[in-house]
Amino acid sequence: MQSNTQNILGRLMTQIGWPQKRRSAYLLALLSTLTLAGCETVIDAKLDQGPTQLSVDAWLTDALGEQRIRLTQTAPYLQNGAATPATGARVGIRDGKGRTYLFTDPDNDGFYSWRPTSPTDTLGRIGETYTLGIEYGGQQYVSVSRMNRVPAVDSIVFREEKVNPISEERGFQAEFYVKDFPGAPDYYRIRFFRNGQLQNRPNDLITVYDAGFSSNGNTDGLLFIRPIRQSINPERLYARNDTVRVEIQSITPEAFFFLAELRTQISNGGLFATPPANVPTNIRNVNTNGPAATGFFVTSAVRSRTARVTDEMIRK
Amino acid sequence: MISIFRTAWVLILGLACLTQSVVLAQSTGQNGLSRPPAGAAQFTVSGYVKDAKNGEGLIGVSVFVKEAGTGAVTNNYGYYAISLPPGSYNLVVSFVGFQKQTIPITLTTENLRKDVELSEEGRELQEVTVKAEREEDNVRAIEMSVNKIDVRTIQRVPALLGEVDVVRAIQLLPGVTTVGEGATGFNVRGGNIDQNLVLLDEAPVYNSSHLFGFFSVFNPDAVKDVKLIKGGIPSLYGGRISSILDVRLKEGNAKKPEVNGGIGLIFSRLSYERPLFKKADGTARGSFIVAGRRSYADVLAQPFLTGDLKGSSFYFYDLTAKANYRINDKNTVYLSGYLGRDVFGSDFGFNWGNATTSLRWNHVFNQKLFLNTTAFYSNYDYMLDSDLKRKEENKNDYFRWKSRIINYSIKPDFTLFLRNNTLTFGGQSIVYDFEPGTATGASLGSIRTFSLENKYAIENALYVGNEQQVSARLQLQYGLRYSLFSYLGPGEAYSFQTDVPPGERRFPILSQTRTYKRGDVIKNYGNWEPRFSAKYELNENSSLKLSYNRLAQYIHLVSNTTASTPLDVWTPSTNNIRPQVADQVAGGYFRNLKDGRNNTYEVSVEVYYKWLQNQLDYIDGADLLLNKYLEGDLLSGRGRAYGAEFYVKKNTGLINGWVSYTLGKTDRLVDGINGGNWFASRFDRRHTLNTVALIDPGSTGRLKRWNFSATFALSSGTPATFPTTRFEYQGYVVPHNADNLRNNYRIPVYHRLDLAATLKGRQRTGKRKDDNWVFSVYNVYARKNPFSVFFQQEPATTIDVPRSPELGDTRRLQVTNNTQAVRYSVFATAIPSVTYNFKF
Repeated sequence: MQSNTQNILGRLMTQIGWPQKRRSAYLLALLSTLTLAGCETVIDAKLDQGPTQLSVDAWLTDALGEQRIRLTQTAPYLQNGAATPATGARVGIRDGKGRTYLFTDPDNDGFYSWRPTSPTDTLGRIGETYTLGIEYGGQQYVSVSRMNRVPAVDSIVFREEKVNPISEERGFQAEFYVKDFPGAPDYYRIRFFRNGQLQNRPNDLITVYDAGFSSNGNTDGLLFIRPIRQSINPERLYARNDTVRVEIQSITPEAFFFLAELRTQISNGGLFATPPANVPTNIRNVNTNGPAATGFFVTSAVRSRTARVTDEMIRK
Repeated sequence: MISIFRTAWVLILGLACLTQSVVLAQSTGQNGLSRPPAGAAQFTVSGYVKDAKNGEGLIGVSVFVKEAGTGAVTNNYGYYAISLPPGSYNLVVSFVGFQKQTIPITLTTENLRKDVELSEEGRELQEVTVKAEREEDNVRAIEMSVNKIDVRTIQRVPALLGEVDVVRAIQLLPGVTTVGEGATGFNVRGGNIDQNLVLLDEAPVYNSSHLFGFFSVFNPDAVKDVKLIKGGIPSLYGGRISSILDVRLKEGNAKKPEVNGGIGLIFSRLSYERPLFKKADGTARGSFIVAGRRSYADVLAQPFLTGDLKGSSFYFYDLTAKANYRINDKNTVYLSGYLGRDVFGSDFGFNWGNATTSLRWNHVFNQKLFLNTTAFYSNYDYMLDSDLKRKEENKNDYFRWKSRIINYSIKPDFTLFLRNNTLTFGGQSIVYDFEPGTATGASLGSIRTFSLENKYAIENALYVGNEQQVSARLQLQYGLRYSLFSYLGPGEAYSFQTDVPPGERRFPILSQTRTYKRGDVIKNYGNWEPRFSAKYELNENSSLKLSYNRLAQYIHLVSNTTASTPLDVWTPSTNNIRPQVADQVAGGYFRNLKDGRNNTYEVSVEVYYKWLQNQLDYIDGADLLLNKYLEGDLLSGRGRAYGAEFYVKKNTGLINGWVSYTLGKTDRLVDGINGGNWFASRFDRRHTLNTVALIDPGSTGRLKRWNFSATFALSSGTPATFPTTRFEYQGYVVPHNADNLRNNYRIPVYHRLDLAATLKGRQRTGKRKDDNWVFSVYNVYARKNPFSVFFQQEPATTIDVPRSPELGDTRRLQVTNNTQAVRYSVFATAIPSVTYNFKF
């Protein structure tokens, strides 16, 4: 019931970047006051079948060591279970200097990987442009992406807070500090891990433009704004001794738009839903009349910082 | 621009002259009724018709001259005028719900002023009146596609949480739908919500909703008359292309002070009205009404709010006031105002509201020429603030944002009452000031402001129209409106890429940006808007009607959500956004059926077809708020809407009320959406059935203090876009539609039953107090009506997993890649309520 009301207003608040914690508190209050009890019910639905398409999950970073690309096939929407791997494909990356990197899938699970010859070597370099090539099912797919600059995470601190204002439960709220580069627009994605586990609810898909949520904020060169600094918290905050890792990843403008759309499309219900639409893709079939693919090719430089909820990290 | 206006004036004056000559030419008469020869001296009888109880002017009263077979209808101010040759006549003044009066008059050598007061009929009939309208109006009046609802009827219809609501009552009429309950506004004959001109005493209201869309801004205690015009729109009106919702406020009791009030679950209401400048003879030169409402859920909840939530605000209020003053027989002024606001928030908050003021001056030049001049101001604004209370601790980190639309207008409307013709002409000038958004943000002390430039525009219009009684059976109404819209500087005008595939973002070509100075015209749009209606009476009880109209609209509500949000921004037509234009033809058959008593059933069937041009749509992932280059995210398309409306109304009897059924379809065609093929618009509903039953057991018997009402609403589900397939990306399951279709499914059917019972207080002798209790249940059988069906990955849960003690905690996020279809219902239960109303 609560989540419905969140639908009503959550959109508005996401749009202006209101922190999650206060949002739910406010909505709870609104709900209890207005007794307008919305309701979500899981129902059976019969859906049209669509053709099976190639789906590409290619997110390459400048981290040392192995890089992986996952190829799967699209499946009927309500067919649960792991995605069927797209096997037998030829997958390669070429950088601007003409170097090529071959990705292989010896165990046929759809994960194609490349390993450097030396463990201190890497595929990704900031400023380089990469071309992805895939041969699958008699079709050739290509995609291009640039690896952009990324700032370092300065620090992470914690404050003891109520999980939400009307709860007695308390936890530790994390806040991380990053300063955007001045000048040309920068696009980032934030990921955070609690005790090593990636937090990946739809709300945890955080994208940043300069230091704010969108190009409409004029935040070039600023410290990330507070709603973003405090966006790295699970629903019930952190507990003492938890470890928190936050990652900042540079992305391209196209990837920023893609991720924003993806977030919209995976949490798009309620009164203020926008018309459902396909998320964009940058995977292009060389034969324009051939079957299209879905998914996205992203190259991303990554910086991270880890902190533990201990007395010295907790601010009063 | 000036030359266009000169042309328009010449044309309008020419048309006026032409009409005059038509009048003279045809007044020789050929319908067999006694008509004087052309050129014979004519005198005019005119005056105001008022309610004897409180002195309110009555709109739409029939004043019929038996001997001459002619008559008139009072205008929006209760004024009528009839031209007659000298002689003795009987004026028959009639209005449903009021006692018919027959007034003998003699016209000799001069014009005659005759004001009339009508008394309400006895209780029995009054209580069962469905509408205050002259008898046979549906058949005899030229207007078609018009629905009027008396406030007394609106008050009888079962209401959500007991709150009587004008817009919710409108949604029970044929041709009116909504995208779902709780959604702002309403859709008329397949038009968007921004295509309704909502007028409150002639000032436009930009957001007619409180609490998103659950309640409307009109306080029923202050409303006198509600009229919805869906087609055959006279040339007097313009600026929106789908409908006119004309809400007229009460003038205030001119006879004695009166207090009305009510206490409900959401609002409490109080209004006060009284005469002004009362003279010794008991008549007053004026009167006023002040009516206020405030929701008080927050007051009740206050003791339960602690910590950060202490002092949270969530309320809405509105204040409606009106005063009138009769300077003399020829001049009356009216001043009306509305102020309303919704406020939500604790630390973070947002609020929105409308303010309107209209000043009107009625001037009777002579008995035949009536002028109403309206000057109005209307403002809609909203604001978001991350730090509503301006706490010291937040002074380095906050976000504030406001947006508004303001307009000022002057609008002279002339009415010239001629024999068998009523000529209307006038003009309107509206000045717009749009503030699309000003945002200020601070991050650890660094303050940035981001503002979109204000946009300015002026909309001018001239019109002329005539209502002509061609013969006893045939009546015509025709007119022409010319509107000219100028998008003005100061400001920058952008040019956008043209070589982008349809449906994708067009980026600005910055080298082509042009800067304009204050007063420069960036872009002009002009439109001729012809209007035509005809009525042919087949016999006393039935008529055929036909109408055509073209309307132009220069402002657009930018919204791509299912229900419009209070944060949606209005934008003018610009060099990149073309004005919306609609053409509509409608035809109808109207009939009264009698079963022993006169005029017991009114039946009508109407069909319509509407063509819409330049309908806004949006690219996928459009960025609509605070976006300087918004126009690059907009698409433009065509629309069509057609349907049939069936309406049966029973005016009298133990059970009265109406049944309306609409069969309709509304589609859009936008390059870049749905593969460039037609698709159903998001508010398209094939079938809509509404039944309203008002039951009055009468003034005797055990149930004499009770009356009852019920509504049943049934409609097809709205269209929805369902995915075909899914794929996984970075752990998220993403829906995908292989053909990228729009609105390829429909959500399940909607139906709902509401009931209400009113218990009137005992009448005590000597007490003037009048009170009642209203008990109602909304959604009686607790149907979980779908508002939408959407698709999602099964929500992640937090599970407890034993972990090593030094990690301190046992919680772990559990994510599956299962997907599900979810039905979202706004109301899942029956909602009972009780309201106490009083009057003294």
